[in-house]
Amino acid sequence: MTGTAALAGRDRAEGRRMGIWRLEWLRLVRTPRALALCVIYLAFGLIEPVSTKYSAQLVHRLAPGVRITLPPVTPAAGISSYVSNAGQIGLIIVVVIAAGAFSFDSRRGLATFLRTRVSGMWQLVGPRFAVSTLAAIVAYLLGTLAAWYETTLLIGHLPAGEIAAGILCGSVYLAFAVAVTGAAAAVARGTLATVGLAVAVLLLLPLVGTFRAVHDWLPSTLVAAPVDLLTGSHLSGFLPALGVAVAAGALALALAVNRLSAREI
Amino acid sequence: MPGALLGAELSRPFRLPPHLLAALVPVLILFAALTIFCLVDLYRAESVRGLPKIAWALIIVLVSWPIGALVYLFAGRDRGRPRRPTPQPAAGASGTSGAIGTAGTGAGSRAAPAADAGVPETDHAGPGAVPATSVRAATAGQPAVPGDAPEHSRPVVTTTDLTRDYGGTGLFDVGLRVPDGCIYGLVGPNGAGKTTLLSILSGIRRADRGSVTWSIDRSQIAVCPDVPEFDGWLTGYEIVDLARSLVAPESGRQDVLAALRAAGLAEDADRRVSGYSRGMVQRLGLACALVGDPRLLILDEPTSALDPAGRADILNLVAAMRGSRTVIFSSHILADVQRIADRVGILRDGRLLYQGATGDLIDTYLRPAWLVRIAGQADQVAAAITDQPWATRVELAGADSIRVDAVTIEAGERGIPAAIAACGARQVSCEPVAADLESAFLALTSSVAGEAS
Repeated sequence: MTGTAALAGRDRAEGRRMGIWRLEWLRLVRTPRALALCVIYLAFGLIEPVSTKYSAQLVHRLAPGVRITLPPVTPAAGISSYVSNAGQIGLIIVVVIAAGAFSFDSRRGLATFLRTRVSGMWQLVGPRFAVSTLAAIVAYLLGTLAAWYETTLLIGHLPAGEIAAGILCGSVYLAFAVAVTGAAAAVARGTLATVGLAVAVLLLLPLVGTFRAVHDWLPSTLVAAPVDLLTGSHLSGFLPALGVAVAAGALALALAVNRLSAREI
Repeated sequence: MPGALLGAELSRPFRLPPHLLAALVPVLILFAALTIFCLVDLYRAESVRGLPKIAWALIIVLVSWPIGALVYLFAGRDRGRPRRPTPQPAAGASGTSGAIGTAGTGAGSRAAPAADAGVPETDHAGPGAVPATSVRAATAGQPAVPGDAPEHSRPVVTTTDLTRDYGGTGLFDVGLRVPDGCIYGLVGPNGAGKTTLLSILSGIRRADRGSVTWSIDRSQIAVCPDVPEFDGWLTGYEIVDLARSLVAPESGRQDVLAALRAAGLAEDADRRVSGYSRGMVQRLGLACALVGDPRLLILDEPTSALDPAGRADILNLVAAMRGSRTVIFSSHILADVQRIADRVGILRDGRLLYQGATGDLIDTYLRPAWLVRIAGQADQVAAAITDQPWATRVELAGADSIRVDAVTIEAGERGIPAAIAACGARQVSCEPVAADLESAFLALTSSVAGEAS
C-alpha cells in the first residue's frame, strides 16, 4: 500500500499535536542547537578544572626548560576558569541560537506564515524566549555541575550553597542575554546582524562596569558571580544586578514585542 | 597503562595523578557519546553532504577527538533528507484506490484535487474517521464556470482610497470591492502594486491613507505568499498541523490530512520540508492556508512555481471554492485569471484601472474581430472592407484570409458579408476571433496610456 509509511508517521504524530511550543522544542532537538549548547558547556565544565589543576605540569612537560611558578590552585580557580570560557564562548553560542529563533522576519515567506496566523506578537516571542532561555540554563547547569564535580575531585571542596547561588545568578544573566537578543532581532532583521548587535550590547556592559558607581548594578556582574560567591561575596551583594537584569530583560522583551508588532514585512 | 596516556606524545613517560583518571572519565564519556551519536546518525542517514559516508565515518573516528564528530554534525549532516524514507507510490497506484484522489507526488502524478471530493476516507482514516471536512467540502464538485459568483452580493472586503506611497511607486487611491464567494483575480505587470495591495489586506503592511473595511472577522482570512518558506526540519504534516493549531485549534488531524490531500501532498506529508521542491513548498503554503477553513483566501501568485499539471490542479482547486469561500489571487498569467476568475482587477502603476466581471472587461475593451477566408485572393476584398466606415482595422492573415476588426459586433456581422458580396468574391468562412483577457488587458492598458499622454 502506497501510503503505509506515511500513515505510520501520522499515527506517530497523532499523539503529539503541533503547537508553537512544540515548534521551539523541535527547533532545539532537530537541529544541532541543543547538542551544541550542551557539548560546549559540558566540555568547558569537564576540561577547565583539569587544565587549571595541571596547567603548571603541562607547561613544564611541553617546555622542560621553562620554570613557571603559579600560586597554589584553589577550588575557586577551577570554577573561575569554567566561568571565564562559559561566559564568553558559551554566551556567544546562546546568542546565536536565540537569534536563529527570534529572527523569523529574515525570511519573508516564513514571517508571513507566522505573522498572519498569530493573535499577537507575544505568541511568537514568548515561547522563543522561554525555550531558548531554558535550553541555555540547562546547558549552563550541566556545565557548572561538571565543573563542580571535577573541581571537587581534583582541587578541593566547593560549598553547595554558593554553587547554587552562582547558578542562579548565571541563569538570570542568560535569561537577560536571550531577552537582549530578542530586542536585537526587533531592531536588526537578519540573523547575523541580530547576533552582532546582541553580542555588542552584551560585551559593552562589562566596559560600562568599569565605572565603579554602576558596577554593582549591571547584569554583567552576574557572569562572575559563581566565582565571587566562592571568594567571600554574598548573594545579597548581587541583588541590585539581579533586579536590574530581570527588569532590563522584561524591558527588552517588551521592546521586542513592540517593535516586531510595528514592523512591516 | 593509563598513566602513560597523557605522556604518549611526549618524550618521557607521564603518570596520571591519583584523581585525574576519575576526573577524565566524564570527559571520555562525553566524547564517546558524541562519537557514537554521530556514527549512529551517519548510519541512519539516507545521505550526507560533501563526502561519502565512509569518509565521514573515518573523520568521526580518526580526526582528533571529538573534533571530527563536531565537523560531521555541522558540515556533513544532511537534515533535509528523511531518516526513514517514505515509500513512493508505485506506478499507476494513483488510480487504484478510490479513496485518495491525490496519490501522486510532485509533478505529473497528481490527480485533480476535485477528484477526491465526496469519497469516503476509509483507506486513510479507518472506521472512526470524520466523514468529510470543511476543506473537502470546499473542493467538492467540478470547478464552476467563471461568472457564477453573484455580482451584487455583499462585499467581503472593500477598500477606499487605499494609498501606500513608496516615493512615486506603490499604491494610489485603490478602491477594491470583492464580493462574497467570488474568485477575484488581480492582474498587472511587475511593480504594479499587486503584492503591496495583498500585503495591506493581509495586515503585514500598512496603508499611508485610505481604509479597508471587512465584513468578516480577521481570523477568517488566510494568506499564502508568493514564495512560502518554512523551517526545513519540520515535516509537511507538522507545518500544516502548526498552522491548524494557530488558526483553528479546535479542529483535528482529519482537517490537516484533508488540507494536505487537497494540495496534493498526502504522500509527502511525512517528509521534511527541506527536501521539498519549489512547487511542493508552494502547495504546502496552500495547504496551510486551507486548514483553517477560511472565509477569505488571499493568494499571491499561487501558481508561479508550478509546472503545467500542478498549475491546473491548483487552479481547479481554487475554482472549486467559488461560492463556498472568497478568493483573491494575483497572477501575471492572464490565462489563469481568465480561466477561473469571475471578477478581475487590473492594476498598473499602483492604480486600479479596471474592476469588474472578467467577461465585461473582454466585452468592453476588445473590439470584435473576425477571421474571414475568401475563395481566391483576398487583396481586393481587404481593400474594399478597409473603405467601410465600421471597419477599424483590416489586415491580411494569409493569401486567402483577412482579419477584420469592427466597431461593433452588429456592424461586423452585417457589413462583412455585404462587402464581400459587393466585391463579387466568395466567402469560405467567417469566424469570430476568440477574445481573451490578455488582449483586453493590452487594449485597456494601452488606451489608458494613450489618454494619459
